[in-house]
Amino acid sequence: MRATLCAVVLATALVSAQTTYKPPRTAGGQPDLNGFWQALNTANWDLEAHEAAAGPVLQLGAAYAVPPGSGVVVDGPIPYKPDALAMKKKYAANALREDAEVKCYLPGVPRVMYMPYPVQIVQSTDMIVMMSEFASAIRTVYMNVATPPPADTWMGWSVGKWDGDTLVIDSKGFMGGTVGALDDEGTVHVRFLDRAGNYHTEGLHVVERIRRTDADHLSYQATIEDPNVYTRPWTISMPLYRRVEPNMQLGDFKCEEFVGDLVYGKYQKK
Amino acid sequence: MGSIRRSSLLCALVAISVAGLAAQGKYKVSRTADGQPDLQGYWTNLTYTPFERPKELANKPFYTEKEAIEAFNKAVEGSENQVVHYVNTDFGATPVQTGAKPNLRTSLVIDPADGRIPSMTPEAQKREAARVAEQRSAGPLARTWRDDRGTVWCVFHDRAVPAVTAPYGSNYQIVQSKDYVVMIYEWNSERRVIPLTGQPHGAVPLYAGDSRGHWEGDTLVVDTTNFNPKRTFMGSPGTPPAVSVTPTFHLTERFTRTADDTIVHTYTVEDPATWTRPWTVEMPLHRIKGPQLEYACNENNVDAFTTLRNARAQEAGKLAPPDRVRNVEDPKATVLEREEKK
Repeated sequence: MRATLCAVVLATALVSAQTTYKPPRTAGGQPDLNGFWQALNTANWDLEAHEAAAGPVLQLGAAYAVPPGSGVVVDGPIPYKPDALAMKKKYAANALREDAEVKCYLPGVPRVMYMPYPVQIVQSTDMIVMMSEFASAIRTVYMNVATPPPADTWMGWSVGKWDGDTLVIDSKGFMGGTVGALDDEGTVHVRFLDRAGNYHTEGLHVVERIRRTDADHLSYQATIEDPNVYTRPWTISMPLYRRVEPNMQLGDFKCEEFVGDLVYGKYQKK
Repeated sequence: MGSIRRSSLLCALVAISVAGLAAQGKYKVSRTADGQPDLQGYWTNLTYTPFERPKELANKPFYTEKEAIEAFNKAVEGSENQVVHYVNTDFGATPVQTGAKPNLRTSLVIDPADGRIPSMTPEAQKREAARVAEQRSAGPLARTWRDDRGTVWCVFHDRAVPAVTAPYGSNYQIVQSKDYVVMIYEWNSERRVIPLTGQPHGAVPLYAGDSRGHWEGDTLVVDTTNFNPKRTFMGSPGTPPAVSVTPTFHLTERFTRTADDTIVHTYTVEDPATWTRPWTVEMPLHRIKGPQLEYACNENNVDAFTTLRNARAQEAGKLAPPDRVRNVEDPKATVLEREEKK
């Protein structure tokens, strides 16, 4: 309950700033979202309020333990259908196998926006590209088009429009997992939204609202809908912070390099 | 399985003119809102022009327009008969289906004047021979996911940069802001983020190299260094064998939009640790229809699983090598062959 109140207070604070700050514009006249942005919270560990906890691998001790967090869900708890909540608990217990992050699979939306890696936004007039360091994940936001998703993808099909100074992105056409894989090690049954096992399926529909609140912060909100899993849409809200280091650039985090032995180990020559 | 297929799709003979390439100089490139030449959109560099010039054309760097179209049509026709596992034409993915066009050039290499890559230094020849010998000594079967023996290696797709000939999927999505040019290569969704900010080169190697761009008139000039030495360059069908990318590998590229549907892309490769002199390639980019979708190589990489699993089964004598199996009823047919039969 306290977490919910905190989140609401936070969201309200972000909203009230809207009236006072006028974001700079691109040459094309749109609010300028260009830059390197990153979440500074524990949403990737657990979207909901959580205490600190031991990590999943004993040997890693405190280094990979779960940091505490007051949660980013505005209208929580996450409204799972009863059977979906039971599945969430099952997936959470099997997170090392089921979490696409462990296998370096593309993280999808909205998760890519709050993983502990920078996201670079390169903004053109008709297209906005958002690139994460993690797994070299890319989203293209197509502005003001009505085209439905041409195919299901891991990062989804994102269509954007400006609502005043707020970029509103509607995303669907998501992959739900890799069921049908030739091997269990390659299989994830659903898509995790965090390491705690909160999940969605191919029924996901996300509406994001992104707005500058000052020179170095974005307000980021995402409303998440999936009739396979939740009883109603629900919303997360958080600030994203500008990486202000001089000469900032995305590095390579091509994590396939780090998971090949894990995923294919069984069939490799010893 | 491997079969000879002819596709009527390829019989659509090309009557396109090569005017796009000849128009250089007259075309006025449109501008982005920031006032920069607009290179944005979707482009392919798929081509039938050989990377190095065939010896019989040593003194002929250019075709006439008529010869260029004939050479193009002949190459399209020649590519109809292929022994392949699956047929690229079924996916609309071959160069002619994607938007490749005739080229007045008789080779992609334009300098040296004979259209051939200069010789390697003696040290480089020894180094590359040793690298190949080491690979061969490991035998024909993939040992781990690292082996490029038919497994799909998802870490990096090296045809993205420097650009070389490819059978399909060699397409780029270009997006520009005031300070950046982003080029996303379709294969493996490889991306290059090219700052125009004048910031110095970074310290950490990148697979696609560390690029810095600036405008010279209407031309985007990109200087790229600091390539990750774990990768190689070339080694595609139609190019010379792969060579190591050393810490002194240096790439200078020029992108000039010469027509609404054409960007002329040239690049100069320089590496004193490998070649006796720098050399230059011209690979035109032709505009194609978007959008360009996600490649998602690593997500459920069935190919890598199958290759490794079959390799272990072959070692155990439970499978015949794929090229010896002609009949999917054969109990030693590969997993994929049995799957296809289902």
